[in-house]
Amino acid sequence: MSTATTETVDSQSDVAVLEEEKKQGRFASLWLQHYDLVILPGIIVVLLLALLLYIGTRDLDTIEQRVLAPDNLASLLGQHLWLAALSTILVLVIAVPLGILLSRRAARRVQGPVLAIGGFAQALPPFGVLLLMAFAFNFGVTTAVIGLTLAALLPVLRNTVIGLQQVDQSLIEAARGMGMSSRQTLFRVEVPLAVPVIVAGLRVALVLNVGTATLASYIGAGGLGELVQQALRLNRINVLLVAGAIIATVALLIDWLAGVAERIVVTRSG
Amino acid sequence: MNFLNYLASNAQQIIFLTQAHFLVVLIAVGVGSLISVVLGLAVSTGEPDPPRYSVDWFAAGVREGGLVFTAALLTVPSLALFALFLPITGLGVTTAIIVLIIYTLYTVLRNTVAGLTTVDRAVLESARGLGYGRMRRLLTIQLPLAWPVILNGIRVTTLISISIAVVGAVVQGPGLGILLLNGISRIGASNSFYQVLAGTLLCLVVAAVFEIFFAIVQRLTIPRGIRV
Amino acid sequence: MSDTADQTTSVPEPGAGQTDTIVLEGVEKIYPGSTQPAVSQLDMRIPKGEIVMLIGPSGCGKTTTLKMINRLIEPTAGRILLNDKDVTHVNGDLLRREIGYVIQQGGLFPHFSIADNIGVVPKMLGWDKQRIRERADELLHLVGLEPSTFRDRYPRQLSGGQQQRVGVARALAADPPVMLMDEPFGAIDPITRDRLQDEFLEIQRTVGKTIAFVTHDLQEAVKLGDKIAVFATGKLEQYDEPETILTRPANDFVSDFVGGGAAVRRLSLLDLARLELHPIETDERAVGNQNGTPVAEVDGSGKPVSWRHLPGAEASGTPLVTVPLSGTVYDAVDVMLDGSASLVAVVDEEGRAAGVLHWNDLVGGLRTRKGDA
Repeated sequence: MSTATTETVDSQSDVAVLEEEKKQGRFASLWLQHYDLVILPGIIVVLLLALLLYIGTRDLDTIEQRVLAPDNLASLLGQHLWLAALSTILVLVIAVPLGILLSRRAARRVQGPVLAIGGFAQALPPFGVLLLMAFAFNFGVTTAVIGLTLAALLPVLRNTVIGLQQVDQSLIEAARGMGMSSRQTLFRVEVPLAVPVIVAGLRVALVLNVGTATLASYIGAGGLGELVQQALRLNRINVLLVAGAIIATVALLIDWLAGVAERIVVTRSG
Repeated sequence: MNFLNYLASNAQQIIFLTQAHFLVVLIAVGVGSLISVVLGLAVSTGEPDPPRYSVDWFAAGVREGGLVFTAALLTVPSLALFALFLPITGLGVTTAIIVLIIYTLYTVLRNTVAGLTTVDRAVLESARGLGYGRMRRLLTIQLPLAWPVILNGIRVTTLISISIAVVGAVVQGPGLGILLLNGISRIGASNSFYQVLAGTLLCLVVAAVFEIFFAIVQRLTIPRGIRV
Repeated sequence: MSDTADQTTSVPEPGAGQTDTIVLEGVEKIYPGSTQPAVSQLDMRIPKGEIVMLIGPSGCGKTTTLKMINRLIEPTAGRILLNDKDVTHVNGDLLRREIGYVIQQGGLFPHFSIADNIGVVPKMLGWDKQRIRERADELLHLVGLEPSTFRDRYPRQLSGGQQQRVGVARALAADPPVMLMDEPFGAIDPITRDRLQDEFLEIQRTVGKTIAFVTHDLQEAVKLGDKIAVFATGKLEQYDEPETILTRPANDFVSDFVGGGAAVRRLSLLDLARLELHPIETDERAVGNQNGTPVAEVDGSGKPVSWRHLPGAEASGTPLVTVPLSGTVYDAVDVMLDGSASLVAVVDEEGRAAGVLHWNDLVGGLRTRKGDA
């Protein structure tokens, strides 16, 4: 992400840039590397402020007041986070080992098709998957978690496989050359080097699940989607706007937290 | 009544909704891609390391900021965006298309920027050395060479848009999402399951049609010298 | 600094300004954000029709200097003249269309066919299609690529060496008087590079361009250059003919840069034709002469095949090796080492013996012909 000013015309200007960076000091270089992580919370804060201002200036009728009551919001938010967290954990538990399995020599042949199907499956609507689960099982949280997990499985699996593919082959050869068994190579070289990939997968899963969880209310599993549904049913524009803003804010915030975690892990593992 | 019977007896409605779905995605991706590619070209910098406070330096800032911002938009759940735009643009196709356009921006912009900036430095330098002006370089060298990457971005964003367009039914946007909402609201009634199944699977059919479309476009528009 | 100034101005004779195609006057480049100039106060004249090699360690400013000539890099100060015309402030794009430019790996446009690549500049200059096509074929021919085979191919279908030839052809397309070359053969394997260099010299003999050529390879500089400009951290340390650079480095920097192998490298600069060789006899009546002239046995066409008589040595034990007169002392040494011979017969174009070079001559000092040094 630090592509801002570091490519050079000539080795002379290379030196110049380095000198300049030294002069600007630690703070500036931190900013250059991570400014995207600062812009995002900025947007979130602005969004939240706008939301508060908006509600503050409106006279809410009793229905609106009831829907937007803090404890109602809190419980919906709780349900939402629970759905997202649970399904994300499930996705990771299933997709990451499966991805590692697929990256083994024996499974190399299946890899291509899995990647292709995974790519194509992006067009498979998570909403549809979720609703189909409601027919297979019942309405409710369990069904929703199953649906969310299924919907996010292929994208995360795809990410993991690609990530493991990108581990430098020469490092693997070096490890094998030093006499490590293929199992040792996997756990001491490949997996550690793929940690950034796995964390990125976590982020993808989380964002996907937070988004799809908004639709869980359509199969009676609650969550912040409930707000939108109610607003549409009651025809309350104020509630609709607040609901949209809250969902957007929560999603951005969670993505931001995942982004920070990702940055820390990636920085640590070099 | 099995699934095929259901499809056969509701063929007219199903075909209509599939067509509508296809069109909504086509329009949104078309407009969104056009915006992103033009934006990507506008903020592309001739120099890899533009001098401070120059026009290029400013453009680089807009580019990075634009990427961060559109990436953030992509993480906002579609239901939230539909909810936020509904009061402004009303129920129906307009809102559906606007929201889809917003989701198109990041992927195409990112690929445009990446495609334009990863053009071989030696090629760009020799173009400059032979007296190519900036515009000529951008349009006759960088754009054609970046095109495969840009086209792939459009392809990926199309696949994503197909599944997002389903949610558009919530704001009465046209398309296969209507089958889904109908089905779930009549759960237990006859054919409700088939309705949801049809709505979901036909998205893959729409995707397949787009894939074929893109394969043809690729064949026709990628210059022969760089075709793989 | 005054030393360098003397060096640079001492080369062209007074009043030779008319024949200098490229003139740099007090040219300086300071990159933004840097305090030290990448190139400082550079004065340099490149005479018409000559190849000048810019060489030096990386970061010495040789590439910056080259790119300032066609203003890919804008000079911070100073003046650049091409054919006596000040081009420091003319439109850069228009200027560059009149200067050939070749870079490492060719920089061919991958989505253009070979013919279209060569026609890039003519097309911008508004030539008609027929003329562009003919020119492309002509140039492909010149650089040794069969037009009918190559004109419709794409760059990636060509080897590195072939791409580089097309790069040269493209630079020559609009027949610019000046060519700039930035390590054009840098990324090519040594064997192909050697061949390309030979071909390049051959082409230059027919086109006679004024060429500035950046390289990091001293061997290449010595082989191709009419003059060599040695750079160090933005300054021109010495600007002279290759032989002078090798034998009389202006300062410690240049002598370090030229390195310990200078004496050996110099051998490749000395043409045998310029040496005073020892006489050789082919008449068998000369056997046993007292003046120390070796006698060779010749075949029907007058080519020496073996030694008949060698003063002070056993003739039958010494193989007769030959080297063409057009070669260099380096070639002669090579042949002697290869054949374990202490002397070599130098032969002319028809293969007839022209003289003899002894191993001892190398150590004892080579004498060039009077008035020809």
